[in-house]
Amino acid sequence: MTGLVSVDPMVLLPVLAPVIGAFALLLLDVLLPRLRWVHSAIALLALAVGTAATVPGLAQQPGDSRSTLCLPGGGGQCLYQAGAVAAGLQLAALVTAFVTVLLAWPEHRRTERGHEAVVVSLLLAATGGATAIAAAHDLGSWLVALELATLPTVALVALRRGRRAVDGAMALLTTSLTSFAVLAMAAGCWYAASGSPFLDASAALAAAQDPARRAVLVLAVVLVVGGIGFKLSLAPFHAWTPEAYVGAPVSIATFLAATSKVAALAALLVFLHAVTALGAPALTAIAIVAGLSMTVGNVMALRQDDVIRLLAWSTVAQAGWVVLPLAAVSSLAVRAAGGYLLAYLVATVLAFAVVAALGHVGGLGHLRELRAYRGLLRRHPLMGAALGLALLSLAGLPPGVLGLVAKVVALRPVVAGQLWVLAVVAAVNAVIGVAVYLRWLRVVLQRPDPDPAVVGAPLAAWRDWHPAHLVAVVLAFVTLVVTSLAPQLVFGLVS
Amino acid sequence: MILLALTLAVPAVAGTALILGDRAPVAARPLTAQLVALVASVVTLVLTVWDVVQQPVVDQPWVPTLGLRWHFAVDGISAPLVLLTAGLGVAVVAHARRHLPTGGTPGTFYGCLLLVELGALGTFLTRDAVLFFIAFETVLIPMWILINRFGDPRDAAARSDAAGRFLLYTVLGSTLMLIGILALVNAAGTADLDRLAASGGAGLSPTTQAIVAAILLVGLGIKVPLWPVHTWLPPAHTIAPTGGSVLLAAVLLKMGTYGIVRLVAAPLPHGLGVLAPYLGGAAVIGIIWGGLACLVERDLKWLVAYSSVAHMGFVVLGIASGTDTGLQAALFANIAHGVVSALLFFVVGGLKERWGSADLGVARAALREVSPRMGLSLVIGFAAALGLPGLVTFWGEWLAMYAAWSPAADRPVGLFHAYAVVAVIGTALAAGYALRVLRVVWAGDRLEPAVPDVSGVERWVVGVLTLTVAALGVWPRAVLDSTAPVVAEIVHRAGVSTPADLGSLPPISGLPAREVPRSAGDSRDPRGGAAS
Repeated sequence: MTGLVSVDPMVLLPVLAPVIGAFALLLLDVLLPRLRWVHSAIALLALAVGTAATVPGLAQQPGDSRSTLCLPGGGGQCLYQAGAVAAGLQLAALVTAFVTVLLAWPEHRRTERGHEAVVVSLLLAATGGATAIAAAHDLGSWLVALELATLPTVALVALRRGRRAVDGAMALLTTSLTSFAVLAMAAGCWYAASGSPFLDASAALAAAQDPARRAVLVLAVVLVVGGIGFKLSLAPFHAWTPEAYVGAPVSIATFLAATSKVAALAALLVFLHAVTALGAPALTAIAIVAGLSMTVGNVMALRQDDVIRLLAWSTVAQAGWVVLPLAAVSSLAVRAAGGYLLAYLVATVLAFAVVAALGHVGGLGHLRELRAYRGLLRRHPLMGAALGLALLSLAGLPPGVLGLVAKVVALRPVVAGQLWVLAVVAAVNAVIGVAVYLRWLRVVLQRPDPDPAVVGAPLAAWRDWHPAHLVAVVLAFVTLVVTSLAPQLVFGLVS
Repeated sequence: MILLALTLAVPAVAGTALILGDRAPVAARPLTAQLVALVASVVTLVLTVWDVVQQPVVDQPWVPTLGLRWHFAVDGISAPLVLLTAGLGVAVVAHARRHLPTGGTPGTFYGCLLLVELGALGTFLTRDAVLFFIAFETVLIPMWILINRFGDPRDAAARSDAAGRFLLYTVLGSTLMLIGILALVNAAGTADLDRLAASGGAGLSPTTQAIVAAILLVGLGIKVPLWPVHTWLPPAHTIAPTGGSVLLAAVLLKMGTYGIVRLVAAPLPHGLGVLAPYLGGAAVIGIIWGGLACLVERDLKWLVAYSSVAHMGFVVLGIASGTDTGLQAALFANIAHGVVSALLFFVVGGLKERWGSADLGVARAALREVSPRMGLSLVIGFAAALGLPGLVTFWGEWLAMYAAWSPAADRPVGLFHAYAVVAVIGTALAAGYALRVLRVVWAGDRLEPAVPDVSGVERWVVGVLTLTVAALGVWPRAVLDSTAPVVAEIVHRAGVSTPADLGSLPPISGLPAREVPRSAGDSRDPRGGAAS
C-alpha cells in the first residue's frame, strides 16, 4: 500500500468511536424515529469504547507516541501522533462527555421526538473533535479538529430555544468565528515562518534561527494564545462564557466547562509543544492572560448569586490556573497544565452534576439561586457532601486534596522559572478563590430553612432522583474521593 | 512504621467517621460521640508517646510524578510539639463534656477537633516539605467550621467574619509558604526536610535566598502571627469555642514558628541573616503592640488572645537572633506559650461560659472568694504570662532577650541591643496587664454573683495544665535537652555554610543581597550542597 496514507484503526479508535457512534445514531433515528433512550445508550457505549481505546496510549513511556495516518515516503511524518499527555487528555474528554450524556438523559423527556438523537450525536461529534485535536500533528488536522470540537456546541446551546439560549449561542458563535479567524492567521504565520505544515519542534527550531522568521513565529504564538484564549475562556477573551452557560441546559454547560476545555487546552499544548524551543518572550503573553483570568474570574465569581454564573466565572479563573504553568518554559509546564486541567475537570463535573440532579428534582428555575442550596448537606447528605467536596477541591483545601495538589503542580514550574510576581499573583488569587467557593459552601453547611416553600422539596426520596443523574453524581464523587486519597491516579495520566 | 501510620490514622478515621455518622438520619448522641472522640484522642496520645520513645520512620511514595512522599518521623524539635498536640487533643475533647457548644451536632464538633489534631500532628511529624504544606492546610476547614458553627452563639455575623478572616489570612500565608517551599525544593532537588536543611540554601543565589526567605517569612508570619499581619488572631480566638481557642493558640500558632525553624532558619541561613533585622523589628513591635492592647482591652478572652501576639513576638525574636541560645529560647517559648495559653483559654473560656460574657467592666464576684481553684489557676496562668521566674514562660522569654542582646556575628549588634531593651519593656507591660486582670477578676471581696468553681473533668484538665506550667518552669531541661542536638546542628550548619566574609557586610543597608553572589560562588552548585 505504498503511496497511500497508512491507517491504523486501533490507534485511531479514541477518535473513531465517538464519530462512528454519531453516524450510527443519526442513521438509527432515520430508520426508527420512535426510539427514545436507545440513543443515549449507544452514545454511552461509543464513549466507553473510546475510553478503553486510550488505555494503551496511557501506558506509554514518556517521549513515545502512537502514530498513524503517516505519509508515504522517507519523512515518516504522521498526521496523528498521541503521546502520553495526549492520551490522558483524550481520556478526560471521553469521560467528561460520558458524564454529560448521562446528565442530558433526563432533559430529553420534555422535548419533542428527534431531539435526543440530534443532541447526543452533536455531543459525540464535538467529543470526536476534542480527542482528535489532542493528537493532531499538522496544521490542517489541528484547525479542522478544533472546529469540529467547537461548532456542535453552538448548536447544542441554541437547541434549547428561548431568548437566553439564542443569546448564548450567538455569543458562542461570534466568539468561535473570531477565534477561528485568529487561529487561521496563526496557522498562516506558522507556515510562513517554518515552511512546514507539521507542528514539529524541529521546524520551529529551524525557523527560530533566522530573526525575521522568528518574529513571525512569535506572532503565531501570540495569535494562538489569543485564539485559544477565546475557547478556554481566558480573560480578556472570556465575555461569552456566562451568557452561553446560562443559556444552555445544565448538561451542555457541563460539556462547555469540561470537554470543550479539554479540546482547547489540547490545541494549545499541541502548538506550544512545538514552540517551547523559542524561549521566554513569546510566553509572557501567557503569563499576562493567566494572571488576568484568575483575577477577573475570581472577582466576578465573588459577586454572583446565580450558581451557573458563579460556575461560569469560576471556569474563567480556573482556566487562568490551567495555563499558569505554561508561562514557564519546560516540559514540566506542559504536564503541569494537563494535570491541573484533569483535577479541575473532576471537581467541576461533580459540581455541575449535583446542580443538574437537584435542578431535575426541584425545578432548575429557583435552584439556580445560591440561597436555594441552604442546608443541602442536611437535606440531601449525598448531594451536599458531593457538592461540598467539589467546592473544596476547586478551592484547593483539604479534604479536597486533589485540588490542593493541583495547585502545587501548577505553581511548581512557575517557581522553578523564578517568576515571582506571577507566583504572588497566583497566591493572592488562591485566597480570592477560597472566598468564592466558601461563599457557596457556607450556604450548603447552614441549617435548613424552616420554611419549606423557600427550599423546595424537604427531603427527596431516592426514587425522586433520575437514575442517570445519580450514576453521574456517584461516579464523579467516587472519582474525586479516590483521587483525593491517591492523586497519582490523576497526575500519573499526564506524566 | 505501623505505629506512625496509626498515630495519624486514628484521628483521621475517627474524625471522619464522627462527621459522616452525623449525616445519617439518626445523629449520634452527645455521649456516644464524645466517647468515640475520647477513645480516639487517648489512643493517639499513647501512640505519640510511643512514637517519641521508639522514633520510627515512615517513608512511602505517594505521588511519584511529583516526588511527593508519605514521610514521617519524630526528632528533638518535633517531639515536644507532638506531645503537646496529642495531650491537648485529649484535654479539649474531655473538657467539652462540661459545656458542649451549640450550633451543630456533637459528632461534627468532636470530629472537627480530631481533624484539627490530625493536621497539627501531620505538620509536626512530616519530613517532606510539600507534605508539610498539605498537612498545614488540613487544619483550616475543620477550624473554620469550629469557629463558624460552634463559636460564640450570640452573634452570627461576628462568627462568620472571624472564621472567614482566619481562613483567608491563613490561606494567603500558606500559599505564599508553598511558593517558598517549591523554590527550596526546586533548588535542592529534594523535598526531604533534613536534606533541605543540609543543603543550607545551596543552589540558590544569595539574592534568591533572600527573596525565598522573605516569601516564606511573610507566609509563615501570618500564621505565627507576626505584627502587622496578626489582625486575624484576636477575633478568631475570641469567637471560637473554648476547645477551638485552645487548639488555635496552643497548637496552630506553633505550626508557624515550627515552619520558620524548619523552612527558613535551617535551609536558608543566609536569607534569614539578611532579613533578621526586619524580622526582629516586627517581633518587638508585636511584643509592645500586644502588651499595650492588653492594657486597655475590656474583653478578657480578647485580652488573652492579644497576649499571644506579644508572646509569639519573643519566639520570633529568638529565631531572628541566629544563635543556638536564641533558637533554643524560641523552641522553648513555643512550648511554654502552648501550655500557658491552653491553661488561660480553658480558664477564661470557662469563665465566659459562666459569666455569659467576658467583659471586664462588669462587676463580678472575686474569684479568690467564690471559686478558689479556678482563681489559683488563673493566677498561675497570668503569673506565667508575665514571665515570673520559676514558671514556664520565664525561661523562653528570658533566653530570647539574652539571645537578642548577644546575637550571631552577622547580625547588627546595636539594633539587636535595642530590640532586647524593647522586649524588656514588653515584659513590664505584661506584668501590667496580668496584674490588672488579677486585680479585677481575682482580688476583691465581692461575693455576688457567684460562679461555680471548676469541677469534674474541667478540674482535671485545668489542674494538669497548671502543674505542667510549674513543672516545666522548675525543670526546663525536659524540653531544652530534647531540642538541643537538633538546634546545635542547625546553627552549626548555618555557621559552616555561611561564607566567612558575611559578617563584614553592612547589616541593614539595602546592598547585602547584591554584594554576596561573588563571595558565595561555592554555594551555587546544587549537587555539591545536596551531597554534603
